[in-house]
Amino acid sequence: SMAIFGNAQADDKVYRLKMAETWQTNFPIFGDAPRNMAAMAEKMSNGRLKITIDSANKHKSPFGVFDMVRAGQYDMGHSASYYWKGKVPNTLYFTTMPFGMTAPEQYAWFYQGGGMQLMEKVYGEFNLMSFPGGNTSNQMGGWFQKEINSLDDLKGLKMRIPGFAGEVLAKLGASPTNIPPGELYTALERRTIDALEWVGPSLDLRMGFHKIAPYYYTGWHEPATELQFLINKRSWDRLPADLQEILRVAMRTAAYDMYIQSYHESAENLAVIETEYPNVKIRTFPDDVMSALRKANEELLAEKAAADPVAKEILDSQAAYLKKVRRWTDISDKAYLNSISVSK
Amino acid sequence: MIGIVMFFVALLMLIFGFPVAFTFGGVALIFGVIAEGPDMFAFMPFRIQSIMENVTMMAVPLFIFMGIVLQKTRLAEQLLEAMGKLFGGVRGGLAISTVLVGALLAASTGVVGASVVAMGLISLPVMLKYNYDKSLACGTICASGTLGQIIPPSIILIILGDVLGIPVGDLFQAALAPGLVLIGCYVAYILVYSWLKPESAPALPMDDDVSSRREMYLRALKAIIPPLALILVVLGSIFAGIATPTESSALGGVGALFLAVLYRQFSWGMVYESAQETVKITAMVFAILLGATAFSMAFSYTGGDYIVEEVLSDLPGGQMGFLILSMVAILILGFFIDFVEISFIIVPILAPVAAALDIAPLWFAILIAMNLQTSFLTPPFGFSLFYLKGVAPPQVRTMDIYKGVIPFIIMQAAVVISLMFAPEWYGLTH
Amino acid sequence: MLIKAEKAINRFSDFLGTVSAVLFLLMLANVFIDVVMRYVFNDVSIAMQELEWHFFAAMFMLGVPYTLRTGGHVRVDLVYERLSAHKQSVIDIGGGVLLLLPFCLLVGWYGIDFAHEAFALGEMSGDPGGLPQRWIIKAVIPFAFFSTAIAGVAMILSSIITYRENTLHKTDRGLL
Ligand code: NA
Ligand code: NA
Repeated sequence: SMAIFGNAQADDKVYRLKMAETWQTNFPIFGDAPRNMAAMAEKMSNGRLKITIDSANKHKSPFGVFDMVRAGQYDMGHSASYYWKGKVPNTLYFTTMPFGMTAPEQYAWFYQGGGMQLMEKVYGEFNLMSFPGGNTSNQMGGWFQKEINSLDDLKGLKMRIPGFAGEVLAKLGASPTNIPPGELYTALERRTIDALEWVGPSLDLRMGFHKIAPYYYTGWHEPATELQFLINKRSWDRLPADLQEILRVAMRTAAYDMYIQSYHESAENLAVIETEYPNVKIRTFPDDVMSALRKANEELLAEKAAADPVAKEILDSQAAYLKKVRRWTDISDKAYLNSISVSK
Repeated sequence: MIGIVMFFVALLMLIFGFPVAFTFGGVALIFGVIAEGPDMFAFMPFRIQSIMENVTMMAVPLFIFMGIVLQKTRLAEQLLEAMGKLFGGVRGGLAISTVLVGALLAASTGVVGASVVAMGLISLPVMLKYNYDKSLACGTICASGTLGQIIPPSIILIILGDVLGIPVGDLFQAALAPGLVLIGCYVAYILVYSWLKPESAPALPMDDDVSSRREMYLRALKAIIPPLALILVVLGSIFAGIATPTESSALGGVGALFLAVLYRQFSWGMVYESAQETVKITAMVFAILLGATAFSMAFSYTGGDYIVEEVLSDLPGGQMGFLILSMVAILILGFFIDFVEISFIIVPILAPVAAALDIAPLWFAILIAMNLQTSFLTPPFGFSLFYLKGVAPPQVRTMDIYKGVIPFIIMQAAVVISLMFAPEWYGLTH
Repeated sequence: MLIKAEKAINRFSDFLGTVSAVLFLLMLANVFIDVVMRYVFNDVSIAMQELEWHFFAAMFMLGVPYTLRTGGHVRVDLVYERLSAHKQSVIDIGGGVLLLLPFCLLVGWYGIDFAHEAFALGEMSGDPGGLPQRWIIKAVIPFAFFSTAIAGVAMILSSIITYRENTLHKTDRGLL
């Protein structure tokens, strides 16, 4: 599906790639990343690399991006790795993990700590390449109708929280619930569910949850959600080396730009929520809840590592890297933030 | 260009009378394969799976089932007759009752197919039995079945909230007044029409054996309460947080069976037959969606979406000029493409212009929502019209339906225009 | 000969109709039970929630061939109803051969790959406690489209008989 136009002069050839994104047309932040990337690639290549983006409104299959890129119906995709865990279980680990690394730590793992090689190991088997595609930064723990004061408050808690984090919560007796996004607002307002998680202030504000739920909990389950650029290996191989490099740089820059943008939008929107809705209470889960969640998380990860040697390899790599990098975070950023808040 | 030719070919083929679903699918195939080759259709399973996984659409079979059980047990008929009788000598009582029941159903689902078909099953046979004008009956059902799009909860409003970045709760609140005004207009129209043309909507004959008016009202009340309670349970289950809007329609289905038991009309044979009819009607509705998704795929993958974008990206005019042109554009596009496409592809093109012209986003969103609601009613491709035809008895012709919706389309246009020029009437600001 | 083939196909389509009706009742019970379990017992099963749309999807997909066989697919009757049975049969033969069959066969054909891919990957639900064996529900796509093509053949055969005999071939329209 990649058409090559132009004449014999290799340098003038225009290469066209088609990309499918999981997001709807003009979806803010997430959708800005691929658009930004395509614009940069076209400019840097002096118009030789043209990438057109089809949103979910065109291809109608937000969660078919993996299959469509793999089959070559699209050359590229923009999505999130953990969406494919039902198809390829080990893709789970390349987005974010509960109690895992923060965004700078995780970028360091990807580019310096062996993360990219492990991602290649998982995706290469399917003739795909995957690159970091933009970070949401730390996601919030969600909107709650009632305060969580103890582990008992989690028992029977009906919460919309998909994927692996839902599995962790279920271990503590909560009931993860599937509600289609279009009915989330009514379901939370009417208390059909007790809680839900979405992203963070950057994207939660437009959903209006702050008007109907009093408690906004800080995060634990998605400390650094990294989106992904997927590429069909055959489409990649058809590009000349310079365009490959331009594409690589454009993807890396667009990913970083999205991280900055998410950070900014979250700060802006949090200010809106706090000034216009002073009744929204920001809370952190109590210590015993956090340690129980952490313990449940560790048990689940141990199960996954025991079941699959590649999963074990990835999880070991992440755990080892986290240990090392967190020590530095502790005595740099964390110590800095602690010390200046004390001196206030 | 191909998209436009394709549209007219589909129109021509539809007129010949081959089933709508396969006409859409087949025409899409011919044009898609000629323009892009057969591989375009490798996208179809992905699109079909998205329809299969769309759990909000489960409301369609569930409401249809409720409608069929209420029809088979004659409870629906009794409800409407009793309501009609409460109007006494006033003509058009059945049609007004239909609007009111339709408004209640609208408040418990946001899926047009669900409420149009349910209303078609519940009230079309009754209106025909009492010699209502076929067009009036069909127009009333299509219009009130489509109310679900504007009366919250509504899928259009949720999508628009997402696209325009407006909290859904604000939209739900803002849509209420225009929705109620629409209901008022429908009722007023029916009253006037049946007063001018008495034979089109006769008042129901009063029971002869009833000695007093009081007894008649009591009787009517007795017939109204059970099915109305059922509908209120459906609605109440959403408000009480027992069920999501989609799930509430299952409570409606089970509740209808419960009423059947209560009225000694229950049998397993009845349940099975109702399920079988539900399947037939549901498959009719979804086959249209399957054909339509192929059609919109061929339309956009042959470049139709780019043409639309180009035309819309530079609409001229100041605030009013822009509003009028964009509303007309959406209305026309509503003939070709469905509301989801319009919301996600057209609205984002218009939104920045609207913002630059200082048009309040909430006002703009409600205008668009009302306009999109109309697109379900506009011939030749209005989905409500197909759905009603699919459940109507054979003596109801497509032309009856087309004729019947025209006054309702005009009323909707009038409400949109008044909302455009006097948003303050509806509690909105410029 | 034609009549025999038509009858055999109709029996097959009726069977799919029965399956769909049962699937619908299962779906109704499924949604109802899920609501009761969540509201009364605070108990949510992701597998049961996913089962809802599995029943729903299979129900309407398998209902399409059945509805074709019972003549339930909506037509615009501006012209059709005024035509003789003879002319109507020409429209149905033409539409069946040019529109319905190619559409159903092509989508069914691509549906095979789609389901096979899910089978080869061992695809399952991505949610905790969700359903395994995604390929089964995906395989409903090619199965339903090929079944619709088969039901379409019966419709064409019936129209050919009408055309030849120049009177409406009374096909037994099932229960409805
Ligand atoms: Na999230
Ligand atoms: Na509604």
